[in-house]
Amino acid sequence: VTATTTKPERQLDPITFEVLRRSFEYAPERMSQVLQKASFSPIIYDMVDYSNAIFDPEIELIGQTANCPVHIAAMHFSARASLERFPLAGLEPDDIVILNDPYRGGTHTPDVTLTMPIFYRDDLLAIAVSRAHWTDVGGNLDTHIGGEGLRLPPLMLYRAGELNDELIEIIKNCTRTPQYVEGDIQAQIGALRAGRDEMLRLAHKYGADVVKEGMREVLDYTQRMTAAAIDRMPDGEYEGVDYVDSDGFSDDPVHVRVKLLVRGDRITVDLSASDPVTVGPINSPYGNTASAIYYSLKFFLSPDAPPNAGLYRQIDLTIPEGTWLNPSWPAPTFGCTTASSSKITAAIWKALAQAIPDRVIAPTCSECNWFLASASDPVTGELHVLSDLPAGGWGGTPFNDGMHVTMDPLGNCQNLPAETAEMLFPVRYNSYQMITDSAGPGKHRGGCGVRLEVEFLGRGQIITMETSRTREGSPGVNGGGNASRQRQLRKLAEGDVQTIGGLDDDGNWYPQMLGNVGFNPGEAFVFESGGGGGWGNPFERDPNLVLEDVRNELVSRERAADIYGVVINEALQLDADATANRRRQRS
Amino acid sequence: MIHLGIDIGGTFTDLFAWDAEASGSARVREVKVLTTPQDPSLAVMQAIQSAHIDASQIRSVVHGTTIATNALIERRYPEPALVTTRGFRDVLEIGRQRRRHLYDPYQVKPPPLIRRSRRFTVAEKLGADGATVVPLDRGEARHVAEQLAELELRNVAVAFINAYRDGRHEREMRDAILEVIPDAQIALSSETRPKVRELGRFTTTALRAALLPVVGDYLSRLEEKLAQAGCSAPLFIVKSNGGMMSADSAKERPEELIASGPAGGVAAGSYLSALLDAHSLIVTDVGGTSFEASLLEDGVGLVADETEIEWERPVVTPMLDIRSIGAGGGSIAWIDDGGSLRVGPQSAGADPGPACYGRGGTQPTVTDANLVLGRIDPTLGGKFRLDLDAAADAIRTVAEPLGLSVLECAEGITEIVSENMAMAIRSVSVDRGRDPRDHLMVAFGGAGGLHACQIARSVGIDRVLVPPFAGVACAFGATTMDVRHDLETTFYAAVDAADPAELTRSYTALEADVKALLEADGVPAADAAVERTAQMRYVGQSYEVTTPVPAGALGHADLAEIADAFNAVHEREYGVASTAFPVAFVTLRVTGTGRGHKPAPEDLAAAMRIDGNGAGSSVKERRRTYFAGHHHEVDVHDVERLVADQRIAGPAIIEQPDGVIVLPPDAVAIADPYRNVMITASEEKAA
Repeated sequence: VTATTTKPERQLDPITFEVLRRSFEYAPERMSQVLQKASFSPIIYDMVDYSNAIFDPEIELIGQTANCPVHIAAMHFSARASLERFPLAGLEPDDIVILNDPYRGGTHTPDVTLTMPIFYRDDLLAIAVSRAHWTDVGGNLDTHIGGEGLRLPPLMLYRAGELNDELIEIIKNCTRTPQYVEGDIQAQIGALRAGRDEMLRLAHKYGADVVKEGMREVLDYTQRMTAAAIDRMPDGEYEGVDYVDSDGFSDDPVHVRVKLLVRGDRITVDLSASDPVTVGPINSPYGNTASAIYYSLKFFLSPDAPPNAGLYRQIDLTIPEGTWLNPSWPAPTFGCTTASSSKITAAIWKALAQAIPDRVIAPTCSECNWFLASASDPVTGELHVLSDLPAGGWGGTPFNDGMHVTMDPLGNCQNLPAETAEMLFPVRYNSYQMITDSAGPGKHRGGCGVRLEVEFLGRGQIITMETSRTREGSPGVNGGGNASRQRQLRKLAEGDVQTIGGLDDDGNWYPQMLGNVGFNPGEAFVFESGGGGGWGNPFERDPNLVLEDVRNELVSRERAADIYGVVINEALQLDADATANRRRQRS
Repeated sequence: MIHLGIDIGGTFTDLFAWDAEASGSARVREVKVLTTPQDPSLAVMQAIQSAHIDASQIRSVVHGTTIATNALIERRYPEPALVTTRGFRDVLEIGRQRRRHLYDPYQVKPPPLIRRSRRFTVAEKLGADGATVVPLDRGEARHVAEQLAELELRNVAVAFINAYRDGRHEREMRDAILEVIPDAQIALSSETRPKVRELGRFTTTALRAALLPVVGDYLSRLEEKLAQAGCSAPLFIVKSNGGMMSADSAKERPEELIASGPAGGVAAGSYLSALLDAHSLIVTDVGGTSFEASLLEDGVGLVADETEIEWERPVVTPMLDIRSIGAGGGSIAWIDDGGSLRVGPQSAGADPGPACYGRGGTQPTVTDANLVLGRIDPTLGGKFRLDLDAAADAIRTVAEPLGLSVLECAEGITEIVSENMAMAIRSVSVDRGRDPRDHLMVAFGGAGGLHACQIARSVGIDRVLVPPFAGVACAFGATTMDVRHDLETTFYAAVDAADPAELTRSYTALEADVKALLEADGVPAADAAVERTAQMRYVGQSYEVTTPVPAGALGHADLAEIADAFNAVHEREYGVASTAFPVAFVTLRVTGTGRGHKPAPEDLAAAMRIDGNGAGSSVKERRRTYFAGHHHEVDVHDVERLVADQRIAGPAIIEQPDGVIVLPPDAVAIADPYRNVMITASEEKAA
């Protein structure tokens, strides 16, 4: 137990503060429960691709729920854009503004954001924001954001007790899944109201002034914890590079180059050396890039502090316009939330590996692998749209192995269960199983990736998939090795397999950004996700752990011998002498 | 003619006995003995002995046990195996690919229930419509059976994709295993819980396979000991769903015992609900390390269809919705990196325990706070000597950095832990569309009465009840239980498209099965009550709500009524409903109940009745306490010496044999004729 060195400036007694701190977490939790339970689209209710948050009257983040970190900081920009377009003076209680424009604080276009001011006795108490990934808002891979589907500027969705029905008609006209629109809007409105009710309960109990003071102090609190964590890092300049395999319209890798400048209790994140705006849709608008930077650092700065805008105060951003990480209209941005955010994280963690090598973990698979597909019913011809996001492994840590098949830091979404998929859509799920030898080797190895196989009963199509990590697997740190590469395959009805994205067995590489890839009835889309990077030298891994991995068929005997220097015989017993010899020879 | 309720907890094994032929308060016996973890049946027999019960006089034994839960938590079971569909070996390990902590880089997931090297796959596949896509490869099935035999694996889960539609491949696989391993214990997912979504069904089946030998061996041992002692009474086991089943049923359905421990408390709540004619209750139980809350509606505990027993390990048997948080007497107060006072979830446990126990604990706990505030007796009723100075020293370590006095800080600690407990109440009420303010709060557990008023105030509840048997509530509740079985089948059809005749047939088949189960548990068909519900959702949704369904032959008019009922339930649970969306059935459920051999409530109540004439005062001493920033000299009452309708105004303390009730200023308590203490916790603006 350590008390803080400087005594914080505080007006609330510690007990009221603690109660409010917890309540600011509870309000968005309630919002998410309502949204998940009342939603009509699988990507929300089953895959939980959404985030909810409460902001203070100055539009500073106060509390959020644990689903998609990449949504969170961008919400600050979308809430600001919403209230600039519709100033508070003209708003009534329960009015709601909708938007999804990536250039006004949106993330990729399917993420639709609803913003509602919460008034207590005519004064603005807080702002509730709900962002959810709708299954589809139209669009496809394009070189102009105009081709990425419906793009809503801030618009009134709900005003003076009335839903804007004309707007809803337009939205339904512009999506492949109009059947979900009204249900999802209803669910998001339910979420905003649940957040409102919780905040009003607090105001009623403590008074608005105390609640606002609590907001101020909870921001200071997170700021203090963040500053203390940065202060413990050695001052210096640390660099990290990562890349997206291609933008889908050229074969060139697109690099993010991070420089972290740690000075005292502040960090500057400088992305100036990153590549210019790209032709294809991986450009990441400022809000999306800022989100990615903040959550990537939070893992190592103040994971336990309340997730709020206090974190941002200790971090300075340099993201020049004209780089692909701060583009402007009409640059396309469809892959920003997935392929781009995760590379920012990996580059930052690689830089941190120099600053805090004993605390950093190896990069995760660094992809979320979200894809959108259509599948026609072989009998009725009815066209269904579905999506899924097969995760990869997490990186090894200083203390333990990385987690298998777990969502990237950018989100925390669930996969689509095979039985749900087969019940709702004309597809068969033939595999969702871990891949042997996919984990990055290390003293603490990464987690494994997964092989997903989706067979189309009628005609099928991968509408879009923005991903990467097909040229090289995720890197290890501190001597740990790379994980496996990702691959996109077509399995023919007779069983033959063709590579459609990534490296094939002959060393040919195919562009990994998929758009409008068709499948005949009986063909399957196969996706192999990557593992997480390894941590530390694999020769230092406890041979008994390698043996357990071999017995569990997570690691092959060949790889145990080659990469780990651990000799295991055909009866799956450890050969301790041969292992010692092998490790001695190679070290 | 004695009815026994027995509850085995982590520390104590509680016994509650009801003797119909004794008179007055001799009808009731309560005993606590130390739990014997190496063989829990030993403590059961010790408890019977120390209650001076003649085993031959026992008429029924109802037993709540954490044996299944503990085996699960510690992964202490004979190694099980899984056989599953090719391509799906890792469902049990991957879960739904979520991480538990959003920003913790070092987190790990709980180990899989069955390790990967013991998970086998075979080529087979049924479609979502139940049609054969790939027939079961018999050669491969035989080969897997031989591998199981070679590895000496005897308890096996068989869980195939889409087996909720049809179990024929799973049954073929079972036959293949039994040919090679005739004494194998095999759990099929199509028989365990035939519900759609593989993770929940696979997990539940794996759990059954893991627990079959554990629960089977334990119950056989207990039956043997009871028989040796001369007890020939039937043994019933408390189930997660709030009812009970025979020991024989429990040996076959061990996964239904996961919430067996706390379920007795909910039954005790049901009993109080009937006794006091109070329909809406929130039942709480405070222990040393955890706080539990559940909600009763019309006297019946709310049930959840799916419960995550560990991260991404959902069990899909109906379980009482009991929310548990790590907060209790042992919870440690600390200051976090941001300078904020926190309480729990770390606990000092029993060893070293709170600082005041004098066993080397130096960190301040909730118990230390209550001691320095004068809310608990430093001698614990003469049993023990608590170290007041050690408690104050421990609290000072957090009070000083915060600029608070020891007493201010101690009171803050009790407020924060009460607020944490209140969050558990919110989650079981507000999160499920119920307003906690409409409920009577019942406080169980020795420490239940310590914080009850603070917790109630925080959630806006104004009436709190502390019953006389609060310390052995689960054992007491066990004696009041009904036999209860829930059976389910998947029936996926839009209401508009559903054939009422087919629906009726499915229900009738379930009803026949549930009556057979009840009969096997000693409930004659004539005494069985059967109720239908359906788990339903809007077409395209994935979360179901439980909707009542009428009995008898169903017609089209009934379907419309069912859809209306669904909308009403959906509105309450989630706050929204819409007639614009079509509604679908997903799972049909039949709940069969049969009255157990339980004592009549009026007889039990009569035994609880205060017989005394109230000679002498109930005040045993005066004590200096601290409330809301001020010292008070308060009366300390002995609950056993209260008279009916006695009114006690706070601040005051009422001591029970195993617990304490704290009345803050403004609270008023009245003893009812059954020795229940009913408190009105008056609304007061917090902080």
